[in-house]
Amino acid sequence: MPVRLRAIVGYVLAMVTVAPLVWLLVAVLRPADELFAVTLPSRLTLDNLLFVLTEVPIGRYMVNSAIVSVAVTVIALVLHSMAAYALARLRFPGRQVIFSMIVSTLLVSLPVILVPLFLVARELGLLDTYAGLILPAIFHAFGIFLLRQYYLTIPRELEEAADLDGCGYLRRWWQVVVPLSRPVLASLAVLFFLANWNAFLWPLTATRDPDLRVVQVGISTLQGQYGSAWNYVLAATVIAAVPTLVAFVLGQRRLVEAIKTSGLK
Amino acid sequence: MSAFERVTRRSLLRGGAVVLGSAMAAPLLSACGGGDQGGNPKELTFWNFYGPNPQSDAQSKWFTDLVAAWNADNDVKIKLHYLPVSEYLAGRALQTAFSAGQGPDIFLLSPGDFLRYHNGGVLTDLTPHLKPDQIADFADGALDTRKVDGKIYGLPMEREPLAVFYSVDAFEQAKLSEGDLPKTWEQLLDVAGKLTSKDRFGLLFETIPGYYQNFTWYPFMWMAGGSAVPENGGPGFDSPAVHNALKLWQDSITGKMSPRKPQGDGGNDTSANLGSGFVAMQQSGIWGVSQLAQNNKDFRYGVFPLPVPEGGTYTTAVGGWAFVANAKGANPEAAAKFIAWALGANDAEGIERGRQWNTVVKTNLPARTSVQEAAESAGAFDDPALKVFLDKVVPGSRGEPRYTPEVYKAVSDAIQAAQLGGADPAKAAADAAAKIGTFLKGYKGAAML
Amino acid sequence: MTTVADPGTAVRRPPGAAPPVWNRRRREALAGYAFVAPDLLGLMMFVGLPMVLSLGVSLFSADGFGGYTYVGLDNFRQMAEDTQLWQSVRVTLIYTLAFVPIGFVVSLGLALLVRDHFPGVGLVRTMFFLPHVISLVVVGIAWQFLLVDKQGAVATLLRPVGLGDTSFLGDPSLALGSLVAISIWFLMGYNMLILLGGLKDIPKEYEEAAGIDGATSWQKFRHVIWPLLRPTSFFVLVNSVVGSVTGLQAFDLVYVLTQGGPAGSTSSVVFYIYQQAFTFNNYGYAAALTTVVVGFLIAATGTMFGLTKGGRFDAG
Repeated sequence: MPVRLRAIVGYVLAMVTVAPLVWLLVAVLRPADELFAVTLPSRLTLDNLLFVLTEVPIGRYMVNSAIVSVAVTVIALVLHSMAAYALARLRFPGRQVIFSMIVSTLLVSLPVILVPLFLVARELGLLDTYAGLILPAIFHAFGIFLLRQYYLTIPRELEEAADLDGCGYLRRWWQVVVPLSRPVLASLAVLFFLANWNAFLWPLTATRDPDLRVVQVGISTLQGQYGSAWNYVLAATVIAAVPTLVAFVLGQRRLVEAIKTSGLK
Repeated sequence: MSAFERVTRRSLLRGGAVVLGSAMAAPLLSACGGGDQGGNPKELTFWNFYGPNPQSDAQSKWFTDLVAAWNADNDVKIKLHYLPVSEYLAGRALQTAFSAGQGPDIFLLSPGDFLRYHNGGVLTDLTPHLKPDQIADFADGALDTRKVDGKIYGLPMEREPLAVFYSVDAFEQAKLSEGDLPKTWEQLLDVAGKLTSKDRFGLLFETIPGYYQNFTWYPFMWMAGGSAVPENGGPGFDSPAVHNALKLWQDSITGKMSPRKPQGDGGNDTSANLGSGFVAMQQSGIWGVSQLAQNNKDFRYGVFPLPVPEGGTYTTAVGGWAFVANAKGANPEAAAKFIAWALGANDAEGIERGRQWNTVVKTNLPARTSVQEAAESAGAFDDPALKVFLDKVVPGSRGEPRYTPEVYKAVSDAIQAAQLGGADPAKAAADAAAKIGTFLKGYKGAAML
Repeated sequence: MTTVADPGTAVRRPPGAAPPVWNRRRREALAGYAFVAPDLLGLMMFVGLPMVLSLGVSLFSADGFGGYTYVGLDNFRQMAEDTQLWQSVRVTLIYTLAFVPIGFVVSLGLALLVRDHFPGVGLVRTMFFLPHVISLVVVGIAWQFLLVDKQGAVATLLRPVGLGDTSFLGDPSLALGSLVAISIWFLMGYNMLILLGGLKDIPKEYEEAAGIDGATSWQKFRHVIWPLLRPTSFFVLVNSVVGSVTGLQAFDLVYVLTQGGPAGSTSSVVFYIYQQAFTFNNYGYAAALTTVVVGFLIAATGTMFGLTKGGRFDAG
């Protein structure tokens, strides 16, 4: 295909792809009475956004989501990095078996084990707690796997220099391996944050306390509460999407790298 | 069920772990504390979908005032726990709490869900806390679906009959007048067709599966002479009457006059559907009057009773939520006492409370005669829509039936299959009847009404 | 989580003292276990234990009020006669058979389109990826709004061609197709990026050489790109299959958009399990279904590993 034709096809398809999202944004800025109109809005208004910000506890939802997403991201990065370092570098009996076990959990997704996971969380007293939102979300083989692949590529000499300095394994990991893996950790941080901010099913299942409601669950309940007012429901969804867009813009390059490499196996 | 040994949840999990020889499961499960103990006998939780809600509206205030009044005079305090109605109706939160042995002390229950909880042994008998004149004060039939063997297990806060709401503007645009209000099923479909336009549907029947959908469909089944379980020697669910009622709903969809996907909360949401102009007629309950007054102030509408099939007898279903007390709660005695006081007290204060709830902060028909009289003398039924409900809709009505979850599910599947799946109504009914028949053979719980 | 603090102290040794080899090995092994332990325990607790537990619970029947009764294999027997279960198996199959190939072709097409530079290619890639950044709940609500019967934007735009009264989410013959389309729209940018990563690794010289030999674009694709892209394609396809069978995308969309309706036409297996557990409180039956799905996945994975000789999943 000639470059120009490819470019034109690309532009058109890209615009079709984002059209529904743009439409959503325009609808939020429309006066309520032209919500379904397929024309340009007669005027732009912030009323819908302001209503949601003042009348719906969306701030609370966002804070909850932020607490959970940040906590999961930080803890997961630390634990996964440690585990991945051990699996890539340290020799111990059973390493291969443990690694295979971890990788095999990639095939079990949350919806499948939701019911027994709920029963486990209930027995542990994790329902309706932040811990209940955070703990089960931390452990996922994807991050461990990706980090291990990365650590395999770090030259041993760098580590051995640290060994000569008399560093223990913990310091070796913290002072040599972690700094070297900053780029991949950053990629994963963006990925984890997005995944947890957007998580719906587990928070829906694990909490019923309105004070613990995360933003995705919050906006899904608005559909019922403000059923007659699409403009408010849509405004809330736009607000909920803002942090993901910010994270995406900030971390776009890293994110893209992480996804691209995940296929190289 | 009783043929097998009943075990507690924890011993079950421990047993399961042992069976599997899972070395990690046993220490985990034995280490965790039980959450099974009831809560605090001095502070009872009351789950509801009214208050205190974030909007702090009048209905929310009625609940908080009620509890404040009780707490001022009693040692055992009540604590409200609010859930949005969509969550409460979907049932997930309440059922999950009960399945974990952590049900609330007091909660709201509709007739459709009554048997699940009664047969589960979690409803407290309220009769010892009610005086005979208090019981007699309840309107005819208002307590029937809350009673088992003469004992009262729930006190209704209201009576909510179903009718059809219609948009006056839509009628005028279609050149129809009040004289065209449908009285038969045939006329209903005919008028609905005339009211359907390129951006409006003629008639809304609920399409979202659930207790509510069944509740709104039962009147059609009854008017045609059918029943979900065999009644008075009748044939049960696989009958021509049931086929016809299923077919009516199916025809409204295949005739493209009814939406497959309603707006907002669905059929019980008059603002999102009728008020927004999405439909021209909507089957809904008396609560629609206050919904429309609140959200669609200048909207012109009217109400008419459900149309009747050829040769059928008019009826409608009357719903209404009741307060019930958890028999496995921390203090069922106190919970029952609270309910008897809140909804049964027939002193001036109690009657005024009932009047406020039924005709001021909400629009219902009161469940008690004394409240009804107080409301009438205060002019509560001067509103033309409410007058229709009182004079034309309620006479001849029947309480929302109580069926077990199994019967409910069979009926719900039949409605869904016929209405939206395009299944042959006779086949859908036969499938459901077979399931109901099998279930009834082994059923030993309280009577279905 | 108390194990996190331990490894450092466990492996520290007095400075200067050169340890004997056996000691060093032991220390390394100890450190290895300590480093892996938190993640491993977490995975056991929140992934492994639920899988094991579902097998145990599947032998019981729950009454919904905290009581469980041992029923042996009744829950498994019940599956044979559960017509709704089989309907949901059908839904999952159709979804997978439609979503995987169509989604793959679309993603590959996009990847080939934006592989080489043209002005603004970066922005175009970003735009294809954008739906994936938004949560599925937002995506669901947005599409619900666009697909409102009669009044929504899609109905209005399609009215001139006579499709103004089509109910994309309310008609059982269309609802599942709509879900597939929305899923593809959501996921195509993600898979496009993975395929781009694979395409980038194909040396340009190969294609140029083929070009000199007079190969057409199709021939270049068929004989150069396709064979070299196989590992990446394989990964994307496996990912899509696992994702669609386990409801990774579909669950949230079904929950927000259709709740399994109309008339059960979008009720996938995982959604059906969810309903059995949380709407009807049949935890035992839901656990039995979970066990079957997990068993199926383990069998499928085993087969796949076997077929690919240890799996292209694992380069290490």
